Amino acid sequence: MQFSFIEALQEILAGSGFAALVDDPRNLIMILISFVLLYLGIGRKFEPLLLVPIAFGMLLANFPITGLLNEPTATSSPGMLWVFYQGVEHAIYPSIIFLGIGAMTDFGPLIARPSSLLLGAAAQLGIFAAFLLALALGFPGAVAAAIGIIGGADGPTAILVASRLARDYLPAIAIAAYSYMALIPMIQPPLMRLLTTKEEREIKMEQLRPVSKTEKIVFPIAVATVVILLIPDTAPLIGMLMLGNLLRECGVTERLSDTAQNALCNIVTIFLGLSVGCKAVADKFLTLETIKIIALGLLAFMFSTMGGLIFGKIMCKLTGGKVNPLIGSAGVSAVPMAARVSQVEGQKANPANFLLMHAMGPNVAGVIGSAVAAGFMLKVFGA
Amino acid sequence: MVRDPLSLLDSIVVSVSGFFIVFLMLAVLWGIILVVSRVVGSLEHRPAPAMAKPMQPFAAPRPAAAAAPQVILEGIDETQAACVMAIVSHETGIPLDQLVFKSIKAV
Repeated sequence: MQFSFIEALQEILAGSGFAALVDDPRNLIMILISFVLLYLGIGRKFEPLLLVPIAFGMLLANFPITGLLNEPTATSSPGMLWVFYQGVEHAIYPSIIFLGIGAMTDFGPLIARPSSLLLGAAAQLGIFAAFLLALALGFPGAVAAAIGIIGGADGPTAILVASRLARDYLPAIAIAAYSYMALIPMIQPPLMRLLTTKEEREIKMEQLRPVSKTEKIVFPIAVATVVILLIPDTAPLIGMLMLGNLLRECGVTERLSDTAQNALCNIVTIFLGLSVGCKAVADKFLTLETIKIIALGLLAFMFSTMGGLIFGKIMCKLTGGKVNPLIGSAGVSAVPMAARVSQVEGQKANPANFLLMHAMGPNVAGVIGSAVAAGFMLKVFGA
Repeated sequence: MVRDPLSLLDSIVVSVSGFFIVFLMLAVLWGIILVVSRVVGSLEHRPAPAMAKPMQPFAAPRPAAAAAPQVILEGIDETQAACVMAIVSHETGIPLDQLVFKSIKAV
């Protein structure tokens, strides 16, 4: 047998990923999209903790013939990304992220002013508006429900619902949700100025009352009990959210709270991002539906913001001008960015205005509201 | 529960009922918080917080009052200073009793 260096080189090239890329250039487009997302995450700092792993997962998944996404068979092991994806498939990652969010969240402002809950409810308007629009654009009911959840401005919730109701659209929905969350400081302010008067934006709100430790401990237990008993489909999200909050507030599990807030949340964030990104493969992502989802996601965010603001104006009237309507827009979950936007806009109108703590109430109420809306959609459209 | 294709009427019914359920659920939670606040308030032998007519000052003023002699306020009043302290405490995650403010100046 004669060894030919040139032939060997040709064989290596023919069996390489480069040759496979030439065979199906759509993978190349996806790789380029992943580069753009990496730029947005690293260069523009758009939700980098999620966008960087998502983009890298997309990059890995679109390298041809790696077998990373292979399902297990009788004769072969599963691909690494397929294994990671099981955490999304079985709703493990979003639930653990909610555990971390619960451990990071202070529900004190919400307990001090429970009427904030209604602002959190009103700001779910975008979910149902986008659901209707998605149906009008021809999406099936279950997919429309998953698209609508983008309006909750809550990434883990959107991922959980999409993984149950619209698996093929999961990457587009997750990317839309996280991208628009990063763009909240640009999406919300024009709507806030459009829907409120300068006098309303200038309103200074009264200080919140102090909340006792006992109230903070009872709150997660009561919420978990009532909400899960009423809507059992919310159990993975509300259950873990409230467990995380109980770990934070009970005062005897500081190590667990610390782990949930930091190490565990960070680890799962990596797996979640990779898992979502790895589902963004060319034949499912490069479609007209993806563009529709991205557009609907933006509309969902806008409708949610408007819902919160309009209800904020109603509360302003009902309380005789004691509620600044700007805190309504914080009812979209996106904690704490939406509350910070309310603070910034409030201070632009009146430099002595401090709305942050007031906006945190609707903000965390929005987390509960979007989980309830997700539970409703799962109940209605789930198998 | 719902089968495709959804008629326009079904779509609207699902949408409106979903929005209503979210409102209802959060309104129920509002009620629960009020009850819990009242019960906890009575157990702790103080007026039920939810029933307190005007909102009591947030945690900030207490340390602010304690720290007031040492804090130099330039161009702002005590209420604004208390707000600044509360915000700094919240943003940094450091309890107010562990923060020392030397001066607060309006810029």
